[in-house]
Amino acid sequence: MPFLVAGDPNSKISFEIARKILPYADLLELGFPYSDPLADGPVIQAADARALSSGMNTDRGFEFIRRIREISQVPITVLVYANLVIQRGLDQFYKDAEKSGIDGILIPDLPFEEAKEFVAVAKKYQINQIFLVTHTTTKQRLSNILKYAQGYIYLVSVLGTTGVRNSFSADLRALIRRVKKSTELPVSVGFGVANKEQITDLVKFGADGVIMGSRLIKIIEQFHKSKNLPLRVQKFVRSMKINKVKL
Amino acid sequence: MKKGYFGEFGGQFVPETLMQALTDTEQAYKKFKKNKKAQTEFARLLREFVGRPTPLYFAQRLSEKLSQEIYLKREDLAHTGAHKINNALGQALLAKFMGKKRIIAETGAGQHGVATAAAAAKLGLECVVYMGRVDIERQKPNVIRMKLLGAKVVPVLSGSQTLKDAINEAIRDWVANIKTTHYLLGSALGPHPYPSIVRDFQKVIGKEARAQILRVAGRLPDYLIACVGGGSNSLGLFYQFLSDAKVKMIGVEAGGLGIKSGKHAARFFGGRLGILHGTKSFLLQDEFGQILTTHSVSAGLDYPSVGPEHSFLRGLGRIKYSFVTDQQALEAFHNLSQLEGIIPALESAHAVAYVFQLAKKIPKNQLIIINLSGRGDKDLETVKELYE
Repeated sequence: MPFLVAGDPNSKISFEIARKILPYADLLELGFPYSDPLADGPVIQAADARALSSGMNTDRGFEFIRRIREISQVPITVLVYANLVIQRGLDQFYKDAEKSGIDGILIPDLPFEEAKEFVAVAKKYQINQIFLVTHTTTKQRLSNILKYAQGYIYLVSVLGTTGVRNSFSADLRALIRRVKKSTELPVSVGFGVANKEQITDLVKFGADGVIMGSRLIKIIEQFHKSKNLPLRVQKFVRSMKINKVKL
Repeated sequence: MKKGYFGEFGGQFVPETLMQALTDTEQAYKKFKKNKKAQTEFARLLREFVGRPTPLYFAQRLSEKLSQEIYLKREDLAHTGAHKINNALGQALLAKFMGKKRIIAETGAGQHGVATAAAAAKLGLECVVYMGRVDIERQKPNVIRMKLLGAKVVPVLSGSQTLKDAINEAIRDWVANIKTTHYLLGSALGPHPYPSIVRDFQKVIGKEARAQILRVAGRLPDYLIACVGGGSNSLGLFYQFLSDAKVKMIGVEAGGLGIKSGKHAARFFGGRLGILHGTKSFLLQDEFGQILTTHSVSAGLDYPSVGPEHSFLRGLGRIKYSFVTDQQALEAFHNLSQLEGIIPALESAHAVAYVFQLAKKIPKNQLIIINLSGRGDKDLETVKELYE
């Protein structure tokens, strides 16, 4: 499940990249760029800055998705920070999300304690509100999150922000198991995923999906001036696809 | 009222990774407040380490010039030179009480960074301070002091390289190091329980000032004036007086190059409700909710949001707000130095500048307390054209 920042490095090239990787994606996660992405590490921070300086905004973000929908039915989850949602108006944001064909919304700075109204509006427009579960999510917190969670659980693999990691802790396997025992929802693991070995391991640990963001975006960062950037990203995403692992 | 909220303002808008830590901090703080041994030690350190109580000083020449009766609450005389130490010491003791070995902090002007580094050194805790590169350049003396006190100073190069970016980095560090680390937030903002904890640790200012003014003037003040960045020094002075209905309170924001220029940090003069750094409050943002870059000559006021309790008290009409420009603050900096022999921090100079304006609009001989939140040694480089 690839993650891209919409409009990185600009709308045209970003769309080209999305178009090229969609055939190899089970789900596309798209970030709306934000001035202060506190859950994100330096790679995604830089991607947000590139997208914002080339003119991406909330209106254009929805437009971007509408254009993707014209060519693909791959499920789309939008990652967007809370302030961008409430400035548009809670109802208006989700209404626009439904109209543009978004399937899920994940708000990284929205814990379940603050989510009641958001979940109600999500239900109204039939959008899945995606919640994060992390190493610090206690049993009690997990059971509260599961009262609201829809679509899939986004399991954060590491303590920290987004960004490539060399390895995952042993606790991760236990965390995946604990979450899967408590819910029927699919569990997708993200943050830090860098290579095929990790993807294979995570699936062996029980992950139903694996999200890769910074590793992809690093390619964009390195080659954003290159003409064949979309092709490079496509090649990489294609190489990450694994066949279903038999346990 | 919903927990963690002040009316419609406040809340906890942070990633899931931080939520349990916020709950743990809140529970620990409740225990810390009730713990006799911890509180006795805290009181002792406020006296012997911080130097409390700070004086309430009658500014005779300033009063004569403005035909008012003006007192300065001397937080500039607290150890490390600003009110920041009240909260830094309190939270450092709390961190130790929680068994944390590492504290991190953000800093704008550097005063909170210095206060945190001092408290950490006193308690033997590891200390890392995040500071925007622009702020490092304009508040160099404080950077040196932090390092001398044993803290690691991490320059923040993202965004506008000022306070809001330092807070982003501190939050990112906390997310990664949540098990060992306490985030020692420096002002009355951020996710619950921080706005309440910070205000609690700062309310000693007003508690002292109320007793002091009654003793020296025989009555309560007509006006309380303080600058407002995040909001901790102002809430610290105002809080004890909230139910004294006749005491008027004015918070002074950073007007930068003027409101029309767009280059300022006056949240109540161009901002609206938004979420930043975990809390819902007034915020300077564009139409989509992207956070705006602010400007003020004073690093400590250069922040696009304001503590939620301020937004709430403003909505109730209990506190009124105004602003002064960089130029007016610099003039006040100069005037206070030469009228009273006290060099204020540029932040505090905003409060002094406002009193110059206020004095012309109100009757004579009003009893006014200005919170002198800090001293201006850190600002000498910025103001050098005033003395060269």
